[in-house]
Amino acid sequence: METIALATMLLPFIGALLIALSPQRYAKVLCTAFALLATLGMGWLALSYLGSGKTDVTIPLYSFGHTQIFGFVIDRVSTLIGFAVVSLGFLISLYSCGYLTALNREHPHDGSNRYYALLLIFIGAMAGLTLSSTILGQLLFFEITGGCSWGLIGYYQSPKSLRSALKALIVTHIASVGLYLAAAWLFAKTGTFELTAIAQLSDADKLVVFGGILFAAWGKSAQLPLHMWLPDAMEAPTPVSAYLHAASMVKVGVYIFARAIMSSDTVPHQIGVVGVVMATITMVYGFLMYLPQKDMKRLLAYSTIAQLSYIFLALSMSTFNSEMAFDAGVAYIFNHAYAKSLFFLVAGALSYACGTRMLPKLRGMLKSMPLLGIGFCVAAMAIAGVPPFNGFFSKFPLFAAGFSLTGEHWWLMPLLIVALIESVASFAWLLMWFGRTVPGEPSPELASAQPLPLSMKLVLLVLIVMSLVSSVIAANWLN
Amino acid sequence: MDTFTLFIILLAIPLLTALAAFTCQLLGTPRAVLTAVHSVGSTLLLLVSLFAVWTVYQQGELLAGHNWLHLDGLSSLFLAILGVIGFITGIYSIGYMNHELEEGEVSLKSLGTYYGFFHLFLFTMLLVITSNNLILMWAAIEATTLSSAFLVGLYGQQSSLEAAWKYIIICTVGVAFGLYGTVLVYANAANVMPNPGDAIFWSEVLKHASLLDSSLMHLAFIFVLIGFGTKTGLFPMHAWLPDAHSEAPSPTSALLSAVLLNCALLVIIRYAILISAAIGPEFPQGLLLVFGLLSVAVAAFLILVQRDMKRLLAYSSVENMGLIAVALGIGGPLGIFAAMLHTLNHSLGKTLLFCGSGNVLLKYGTRDMNAVKGLLRVAPLSGALFAGGALALGGMPPFNLFLSEFMTVTAGIRAGHLWLVLLLLALLTIVLAGLVRMIVMSVLGKQPDNVSKGELGWQTTAPLAVLMVLMVLMGTHIPQPLQQLLKQATTIVLNGDQAGISELHALEQQLPGATNGAEKTALNTVLNTATNTASHSSAQEMSRE
Repeated sequence: METIALATMLLPFIGALLIALSPQRYAKVLCTAFALLATLGMGWLALSYLGSGKTDVTIPLYSFGHTQIFGFVIDRVSTLIGFAVVSLGFLISLYSCGYLTALNREHPHDGSNRYYALLLIFIGAMAGLTLSSTILGQLLFFEITGGCSWGLIGYYQSPKSLRSALKALIVTHIASVGLYLAAAWLFAKTGTFELTAIAQLSDADKLVVFGGILFAAWGKSAQLPLHMWLPDAMEAPTPVSAYLHAASMVKVGVYIFARAIMSSDTVPHQIGVVGVVMATITMVYGFLMYLPQKDMKRLLAYSTIAQLSYIFLALSMSTFNSEMAFDAGVAYIFNHAYAKSLFFLVAGALSYACGTRMLPKLRGMLKSMPLLGIGFCVAAMAIAGVPPFNGFFSKFPLFAAGFSLTGEHWWLMPLLIVALIESVASFAWLLMWFGRTVPGEPSPELASAQPLPLSMKLVLLVLIVMSLVSSVIAANWLN
Repeated sequence: MDTFTLFIILLAIPLLTALAAFTCQLLGTPRAVLTAVHSVGSTLLLLVSLFAVWTVYQQGELLAGHNWLHLDGLSSLFLAILGVIGFITGIYSIGYMNHELEEGEVSLKSLGTYYGFFHLFLFTMLLVITSNNLILMWAAIEATTLSSAFLVGLYGQQSSLEAAWKYIIICTVGVAFGLYGTVLVYANAANVMPNPGDAIFWSEVLKHASLLDSSLMHLAFIFVLIGFGTKTGLFPMHAWLPDAHSEAPSPTSALLSAVLLNCALLVIIRYAILISAAIGPEFPQGLLLVFGLLSVAVAAFLILVQRDMKRLLAYSSVENMGLIAVALGIGGPLGIFAAMLHTLNHSLGKTLLFCGSGNVLLKYGTRDMNAVKGLLRVAPLSGALFAGGALALGGMPPFNLFLSEFMTVTAGIRAGHLWLVLLLLALLTIVLAGLVRMIVMSVLGKQPDNVSKGELGWQTTAPLAVLMVLMVLMGTHIPQPLQQLLKQATTIVLNGDQAGISELHALEQQLPGATNGAEKTALNTVLNTATNTASHSSAQEMSRE
């Protein structure tokens, strides 16, 4: 298992090095091949975990003296989320092969080595982060993803995109101060970096460690007050937005928070309260910011912010001893990754085919580009939480767990009602844009659309299917 | 080999190389001969210094020449840095200076001057590192100023001459304060020590440190910190540094920043050990903390607004020296270990960046970041290495500076300096922003029309690649001998602080989080053996003394 995990983590880095050294025309193929290998590795790891009867393993890997610096933890959460981030990385690199070409109508441009190398490093860092058993390992990959996101968001090198990239880097780096603090504090108090040591801390120390982790998580997952980098980061090439801002980078935050909760028997009450309250505020804010958006990607960015608040809500509620809320939160990470990636990639496909992603200019998607129409429909329903799409199966247990907690914690009730209203309202809002863009006669932009390359179509199809079935996978895996 | 012979060979190599280079210059020999002399000198120095480090690693402290020359775990760390960086910048110099010669920026005559002073500069720094005599230490620091000033003013332009002049004036005045500190320590030691003749030797004074007068030592440390702090580039005595670093030829800038600042730092550490032994560590640590934090804070904001690439890097040196001072000020085994590690890491990183900026200078003919655009397109390899180095310097993992900065943070938390750590992390974020801004402005973007595409040749790119590999290695896995070396250095700085030393060993032997009974016993056995060996080795050290 150790070898597989190590290979899964290192292969993308090796691939990135190879891409950096080889000519541009091989970059795509190498990137996709290595991402595929990493996905297979992660799949293999998950299967061998299943084969071992789902027994959790921690593999110490690298120590300084007797202090463990880095290790792998293989359990139901790390394999599930690890598979999601790595497999989506593969899908995105496949999609990029079609998207980053001279045919693209919005950004006619052939993807360079830099793009594919950074994407692969990102995939490797995500694999490492999900599998890491130490807080230092998390910090390491947290920072690597930050650095890569800077390179990827600023990829087109326009002044605006470089500014957005710097903003993303700096804001998430400020957030990482929380993780630095948590890691140093954990080490100072227990003498180890292992996440499981959180359980040994006293309540006051736990407050500091969890506070630091929560702060870092807010930054990476674009929650108030550290959300401002995400909408601007939409300057990135769309596949990058799909990967970073739907599937992986924003999931780093919620993942480290979930991992910390898992590692600790009890979580200070205050952390749960702060988490729930901030999640609700961010959720409402995210929804209010839907209203003025005309650019599909910016709309999706705010939708991501609101959706991540749901995950924070679920995880924070799980600190009041609700196993169900925790599972709902983890399943939410998994499901949302696929559904939101689909949504972003539909937006990317529209840019590619029509040269625009401004919603008011798009009409009659179903008629001229049926695949995109269906993709839009599935993604919108999944995000809004309509059964039988995956969003429903993570939102429903969340609310079920929440309402069952209200018996003990009455103050959760109004917050949950706010969340419920937000959920309905965002459904209505997405339905409105669905009605305006998908049915009807094609607008000039869509009528003159060019066909999509095979790789993009294939990825969209896979994601449509995943948006239906991912909840089944998650539910089975977690139980 | 006899210890004395080792020292003599070590010191003779750069001195003889310098003399040979000057002779070549006088005789007007062709470039190839000069280059050969220089390459042989640099390579030999690397080999012999690594051999000396190895000897210290094997045998412990070396003393020779009637106590005048001295090499221990602490100074051998700095010697290793000198050897490696001297060699790398030496190789880089060949490519760089040949290019300058072809461009007509320097004449063959000044090439001889360059190589001569390059090795003379190395010699003076070597003297600082190996000196056990307090006055000689001071004199050697003065000599580094004089020998490197000629390198700073090599181009002979108005701005470079002015920078060299400013460098000499500020550093001489500054180091004069260092002399007061030195004399205070010497005078006091000569009064109280049983054998006044020994009062000039650092290792001897250290043995009788408890006899020294408390108020005089307070005063002496202030003088020492101001004096040698000038040379280390601590705020507010750093004014010479940005000018000298930016005007010097790039390999010299690297040498100034990566080795010279460390040498001055070594002197400060030597005095900090001595004075901590006399009056307790609180006072020196407090001062180091204040000066270090001020340096980081001021430099962080100055990095953010620079337009000149090499000035930016120079301020980054101020920032990093500040960071090392902060780590020393935090103290404790972890803080000191972090400081030692950061010294090494910063040297590697800064050499990479200064050499990289040299490539920029050769390509674009300017250091102005408003004019330098698209390095990644002009010279992809140099550009990628430069950008990677800048990110590393900003503390991005998996590079080495992340590790030592994180250790500093951990040490700070352990010592209970929560607010200091938060402030430090905020400042480091600003530094990162400044370095990223540099990448955005100069590495990315469109290439200007008047710049030709292509690398400059292996001699100017291979050193960068080697440094990058070293940095990744140091960031992911510190080789075992180096870990030992760093630990030896830390032990020396802790200077018999038994609690600290046992904590250092405990840090390594840290019990993993949740352990059951069986594991605990097993680990305890390991721990006991470790403590035994530890006490054994400290006993050995004592017997050596």
